[in-house]
Amino acid sequence: MNKQTNSNRLNGRDLINIGIYSAIYLVLAIALAMTGLIPIFLILLSSMYGIICGIPFMLFLTKVKKPGMIFIMSVIMGVVMFATGMTWMPIPFSVVTGIIAEIVYRSGNYSSMKAAVLTCGIFPMWACGNYLPLFVQREQYFAERASYGQEYADAVMRMTPNWMFFVLLIMTFVCGIMGGLIGKKLLKKHFVKAGIA
Amino acid sequence: MIQFEKVNFTYTANPEEMSLRNISLAIKDGECVLLTGPSGCGKSTLLRLLNGLIPEFYDGDMTGKIFIDGTDISEKGIYDFVGKIGTVFQNPRSQFFNVDTTSELAFGCENMAIPEAEILSRMEGTVSAFRIEKLMDRNIFELSGGEKQKIACASIHVLGPDIILLDEPSANLDYEAAENLRQIIQCWKEEGKTILIAEHRINYVWDLADRVVIFEAGRVVHDFEKKEISSFTDEQCRGYKLRSLKRISPQEIAFEKRNRAENRKKNINAEGREGNDFRKEDIRLEGFTYAYKSGENVLNIRKMQIKRAKATAIVGANGAGKTTFLECLCGIRKNKGKMWLDGKEYDSKARLKVIFMVMQDPNHQLFTESVLDEVLISMPEENEERAKQILSQVDLSDFADRHPMSLSGGQKQRVALACAIASECPILLLDEPTSGLDLTHMLEVAEILNQLKKQGRTIITVTHDSEFIEKCCDEVIVYGK
Amino acid sequence: MSGNASKKSFLDPRTKLLLVLVEAVLVLATAGGERLFWFRILFTVLPFLLLFTAGRYKSCITGGIVLGITLFLQYAVFPKAQGGLAMILLIVTSVITRFLPAYLIGAYVIQTTKVSEFKAAMEKMHMPDELTIPMCVMFRFFPTVREESTSIQAAMKMRGIGMGGRKASEMPEYRLVPMISCSAKIGEELSAAALTRGLGKSRKRTNICRIGFGIFDYLIFALVLATCVYWITGVIG
Repeated sequence: MNKQTNSNRLNGRDLINIGIYSAIYLVLAIALAMTGLIPIFLILLSSMYGIICGIPFMLFLTKVKKPGMIFIMSVIMGVVMFATGMTWMPIPFSVVTGIIAEIVYRSGNYSSMKAAVLTCGIFPMWACGNYLPLFVQREQYFAERASYGQEYADAVMRMTPNWMFFVLLIMTFVCGIMGGLIGKKLLKKHFVKAGIA
Repeated sequence: MIQFEKVNFTYTANPEEMSLRNISLAIKDGECVLLTGPSGCGKSTLLRLLNGLIPEFYDGDMTGKIFIDGTDISEKGIYDFVGKIGTVFQNPRSQFFNVDTTSELAFGCENMAIPEAEILSRMEGTVSAFRIEKLMDRNIFELSGGEKQKIACASIHVLGPDIILLDEPSANLDYEAAENLRQIIQCWKEEGKTILIAEHRINYVWDLADRVVIFEAGRVVHDFEKKEISSFTDEQCRGYKLRSLKRISPQEIAFEKRNRAENRKKNINAEGREGNDFRKEDIRLEGFTYAYKSGENVLNIRKMQIKRAKATAIVGANGAGKTTFLECLCGIRKNKGKMWLDGKEYDSKARLKVIFMVMQDPNHQLFTESVLDEVLISMPEENEERAKQILSQVDLSDFADRHPMSLSGGQKQRVALACAIASECPILLLDEPTSGLDLTHMLEVAEILNQLKKQGRTIITVTHDSEFIEKCCDEVIVYGK
Repeated sequence: MSGNASKKSFLDPRTKLLLVLVEAVLVLATAGGERLFWFRILFTVLPFLLLFTAGRYKSCITGGIVLGITLFLQYAVFPKAQGGLAMILLIVTSVITRFLPAYLIGAYVIQTTKVSEFKAAMEKMHMPDELTIPMCVMFRFFPTVREESTSIQAAMKMRGIGMGGRKASEMPEYRLVPMISCSAKIGEELSAAALTRGLGKSRKRTNICRIGFGIFDYLIFALVLATCVYWITGVIG
């Protein structure tokens, strides 16, 4: 029988898989975001996504055999963030991180375990896009609220200098790798044996 | 006309076992064929070959030829069958793509790019033919299993296929919903569609079938014509390892049981146990009420008595809150109801420690990486010796090291039972334990329960399965809103 | 996203997306500065109005309480606070007042848009299927993941695998793995059912869901346009 899956074009099944794993990913992400009500966790959120959501993401990667799937999932993350009020900035950011993640996994021919773990490190960086508005428009924000007093504004600025954003990116990457490694372990321990992977 | 010519098939995932062996079968247009046989006999595989899920979705090796209306289907892909062949699947929860019913009905036609006006008029026809006006424009997640299955059938009907395949469509349905499904199949039959039904639960469609094909280990072992099957008896069915043909509602069983019990009472004048008097060792329930957040009251039991060391079946109409009752009883759903056991009072938190529930979907209660571990974590104190003993009791010794999720539905059910035994809880709840089981597996479950009763465990089961009730339940409680 | 017709809103999905964008730019990013102050107030109140008209009283009231507390903290407590406390207050209140309206409008969009409406809007905006189909599946799948998760949690409770119970260290594994496995299994079945009904068959599809702009959509457009014009004249002048 001629298979319609030979081409590199994404078929219905691939698109459904993207949707399903995006849903699992986001349900976990939303559960974690509840802890973000405590400000310190807000900063750690992208790293937590890396560790926890890395587990279903690793399973998702076993379904990825064609270019585009990781990229689309990343864009969906950005769009959902846009729709939940995180400004438009996460969209272009998730496009960039999505392309990088796609290229990394592609370099391993969509099958290498090493590339998969590395992809797990890069993918959750989309969540750092949520922090962008906090960094980009700060000056303007405080300029309008001079009533708060200059020293407070300065203190807040000192606590969140621009290089902090890159620290967050690196932290997310490291945690993403950890999530990927945990995911790899669970893949062997459960999903492969259960016949899901 | 569907023709199978010497078809062999082996799944890539399971290379040791041939799923279909040398199948040659011709099905005439407008014929209604019931395919049956034990689990894993190949009846579902046959349907998957027809609707194109093999090879699009499941990989494997096929030899032989299949023709539909004279065309070799190996030259076709899954999308060529859309609109010609419709498939209804087993699990009502997983076969809808949309969230609302109206979009779900239109879904297939939209994919076929049929003009909107045409879709709407077709939908109107289907809605009135299936009498589902009340189900339109609803959230599918809020429908019962039976209603979901109706929507699944309707969404197929809108596409107007000539061939309809049903893959264990009643596995998750209760008596009433299965009767509704029967009406739908009858409606299709009258429209002259070719219908193939793969089922264990044969009673609700038996007299609709023009032909019954029995599979075993991938082979067609019997092929009966209409006149042969119309005179079939339950004894004959048992000989072919088939489930009972009796179409009897659980309520009727309850009635029959009560009658029999009363007769016996008259004869031997046994100690009376009328509605109100109760023995001290019985389990007594009081004030079990439950309302959803929406304010809808689903549960209202003021008083109930359940005999110790016996199996009690709870039967009742769809949506009467039977599952909710079990969840409240075992304590995972908090409510104010009280339970007395040996004169001691248990609230919902305390009940968690003495009651074990086997859920309808055993997938939800399997956590570990091996069957043995699963039993071990259920024990109050881990004891491998005892765990292995329990596994042999439920006939799973050979599977001790397998991942629970990789087992078949019946095996998962038995793993959950093994955990229940291991938990040493005196009371066991089961929610539709025989859904989707063939005769052999159903009898196994009944046998295990009979053993447990002898060991003094009390069993309470929600079920629609009259054959199962006959085999192992002592009491039947009819439960309504 | 809901499947219920009774909770329908009177705005076109595309208008709602525009609102999300405007909220994000105007309130959250505080574009336009002091000059747009009153517009910002208007767009802070708007999500409450919309939620109210859609019958989402709970979100409306919760949002109102949160906003009320925040404003109280900002204007009554903050001026008197000292040192670290003031700092924390500043961060918390600034984050909440900026994010809340945008979040509420997001909640409004998600709670009042039917998946079929979303699909129709995406198609009208000529978004590729590669984005539309996964997002529709995702919205349909959220409740499934939640259902599975609830059932698994109940099972864990019954079997005494929980926080503080036995095997607490393996909690996340017991919780996550079955949730992922069950969801993935249902997903497989969903794919099979959708494929036999022609999902992804052709580029061209039809859609019976009617969406279109009405009077309220034009009102919103006018409001957004007025804001933009006022803002631009401010920048130029």
